[in-house]
Amino acid sequence: MDKITQVKSGVSYKRTRSHRLGILLLLSAVWFLHVATVLMAEQANEFQVKAAYLYNFGKFVEWPAGVPASQGDSFVVCVLGTDPFGSTLDSTFSNERIKGKNVLARRISKPADATSCRILFISSSESPRLKEILAAVDKAGVLTVSDIPQFSRVGGMIQFVVDGSKVRFEINRARAEGAGLTVSSELLKVASVVRVNP
Amino acid sequence: MNMLVSAGALLLAGGALYAYDMVSLRQSLVSNLSIEAEIIGATSSSALLFNDPNSARRTLSVLNESPHITAAVIFGIDGKPFASYFRNPPTALPPKPVFKDSDTQTYSFGRNQIAFARLVAFEGKPIGTVYMESDLGDMRDRLERYAEILIAVMLMSLMAALVISSFSRRSISVPIVHLAEVAIAVSRNKDYSVRATSSEKRGELAVLIHAFNRMLDQIQLHQEDARRAHDELDHRVRERTAQLAAANKELESFSYSVSHDLRAPLRHIDGFSAMLVQSYGNQLDANGQKYLQRIREGAKHMGQLVDDLLNMARLGRQDVVRRQTDANLLVKNAISNLQSEYEGRQIDWRVTDLPVMDCDPGLMKQVFINLLSNAVKYTRRTQQAVIEIGRSPENENVIYIRDNGAGFEQQYAHKLFAVFQRLHRAEDFEGTGVGLATVDRIIRKHGGRIWAQGEVNRGATFFFTLSPSGDIVTELNHG
Amino acid sequence: MANGEVEILYVEDDDADVELTLIALEEFRIANAIHVARDGVEALDFLFSRGPHSNRSFSLPKFVLLDLKLPKISGLEVLQAIRNDERTRTVPVVVLTSSKEQVDMIDSYKLGVNSYIQKPVDFEQFQKTIRQLGLYWLVVNQAPPMYSPSTA
Repeated sequence: MDKITQVKSGVSYKRTRSHRLGILLLLSAVWFLHVATVLMAEQANEFQVKAAYLYNFGKFVEWPAGVPASQGDSFVVCVLGTDPFGSTLDSTFSNERIKGKNVLARRISKPADATSCRILFISSSESPRLKEILAAVDKAGVLTVSDIPQFSRVGGMIQFVVDGSKVRFEINRARAEGAGLTVSSELLKVASVVRVNP
Repeated sequence: MNMLVSAGALLLAGGALYAYDMVSLRQSLVSNLSIEAEIIGATSSSALLFNDPNSARRTLSVLNESPHITAAVIFGIDGKPFASYFRNPPTALPPKPVFKDSDTQTYSFGRNQIAFARLVAFEGKPIGTVYMESDLGDMRDRLERYAEILIAVMLMSLMAALVISSFSRRSISVPIVHLAEVAIAVSRNKDYSVRATSSEKRGELAVLIHAFNRMLDQIQLHQEDARRAHDELDHRVRERTAQLAAANKELESFSYSVSHDLRAPLRHIDGFSAMLVQSYGNQLDANGQKYLQRIREGAKHMGQLVDDLLNMARLGRQDVVRRQTDANLLVKNAISNLQSEYEGRQIDWRVTDLPVMDCDPGLMKQVFINLLSNAVKYTRRTQQAVIEIGRSPENENVIYIRDNGAGFEQQYAHKLFAVFQRLHRAEDFEGTGVGLATVDRIIRKHGGRIWAQGEVNRGATFFFTLSPSGDIVTELNHG
Repeated sequence: MANGEVEILYVEDDDADVELTLIALEEFRIANAIHVARDGVEALDFLFSRGPHSNRSFSLPKFVLLDLKLPKISGLEVLQAIRNDERTRTVPVVVLTSSKEQVDMIDSYKLGVNSYIQKPVDFEQFQKTIRQLGLYWLVVNQAPPMYSPSTA
């Protein structure tokens, strides 16, 4: 952030019109590129963190026995909608285990497929049919995570909130417990908000 | 001395206990810290995982309740401090802990604190480090109290030891010392009638003293036995001596009567034979006269034998009564005694300085008379007779008498001192063969010895020495 | 030599010795003046004019020649008797004996003998000794005067 501010203020001085314009354009381009890179890095960072958190959520949540039954040896983390993680997700999950099972990342497009996931990340692209998605996975023992605003108020379990440079999250405990999931107090401790109203 | 040893032993034991306690206290401190760090780590896992320093800080703030934890820092996996707690504002941040090899914890004891660090792992993977500093106040208090107790116990033990030792001295060492003193006194004074006293009738000490006294009884008994045996021996010796004296007396009266009885007939034989020759010799032929001569000679010879034998017997019976005697005087007397034997002859007497001898003067005079008489006799045929008497140059304890007379064959030298043994024919030199035997006897009675060297017709030398016990003592200063 | 006066009282029991001694004394020609007593008793009887000799007028010989080994009483006892009596105390006594024993000599001198002579076995020596003895005690020596109470 500071860098951006610094670069911004460094540009305000005048030269010959045409030269000045050219240099201004060049500098602006460089600046934009830099900002874009930073932003992108930030963005990339943000989703790296979110991916890590997704993985970690799995360690602090207890699923009821037998759910989901049809997954076999893998712990499936699904992404519904536009995948904002990219390869980060896979690289985060590679060689990791949650609850003794290999972690698998799956991209799905249909809410109905989500019932086979343990953790479901709903991409912000799905924000219009959020209600539908939530209904589909209701009572299926799926931990719903998203960064759609108000997610935890409208029926989601964990909502990512970016606070400055930090990634925070809100947990709707009642929702999670309603689905049969037990959220560890350790996780609740570090949540920025814990909602107890479903 | 014992007290010092006891005190030393106690000190050593106390020191060992103290050291052991310190070590175990340290170990328990470390173990406690380890548990605390573990708990903090576990409790901060989610904070670390979800990058929530506040949560971690809250966890650490619980340490406020621990009076001895002075600081705690949770480091992230990147080594940067994540959350910290300081009881007192720190002067500097502690460094990132370094772990050796596969250790999960490390610690070091400072002067007043212990620094402890432990890896935090979540589901097997390290996610950070918990670092804690604790003061040693608790441990110190405990060690202090422990030391106080130890010292108190040691002092009490020492005092108890003092009391017990003084008691034991009275009941053990004093009686033992008394026993030792009695033993020393007994062996020093050889008085076996003393006994050790015991104040107790029972116990090991009483047994010892009793045994000691019984032993003295035995010794006393043996002593008396020995004395009795000694007395008996004494008595027996006296008896024997008396018997010997009686036997000697018998012998004396025997030789007394012999000296009378044997001589008279000899004299008669000689006397009447002489009268025969005197008064009727002209009526006898040469043979007759020769026979009478033989008779006379026989009688004379027998007389000489009797005299010599009686002399030797008398000298043999005599005890050696030693006195400091000037040998020069003895020799002088002997020479004058023999005057009649060398009458009319010229003899070169060479007497060199003789010493004072510790001997029986009468007996030694006889020795010189016999030896010199021989020298005189056997130089009878020598033109210029030389008789030397002196001290041997090789050994000042040896006296020699040398003559340049007829000498003798050295190969028969060992027969010289035997009774009746002669190395010369009677017609050459008369003699009974008793003289040297007598000399030998006397010298051996003095504890000395005599030997001789001779060469036919060149002379003979007789050497003798008396016993080493003050043989030749000092030279007499002739003034 | 006065008649009846005895020159020598010779006390000796062995007649062979007597004979030899008298032979040796022959040269002094005093054979008549030598009285031989064969034992100590006779010697004293003679000397003190008692017993068998009671009719002898008392007179002292020039000297007494005394052998020690005598029957009845010994030579030393005779010597003692002689010395014990005032009348005979002064008479010279010469012991003539074959003994070489020191003790005899010492005892004799203790009892007051005047001379102690050992008889040599050799006859020549014997003669020589007797000759010397006789010469000395008969001729050289001054015999003491007869005893009389006034001269005592």
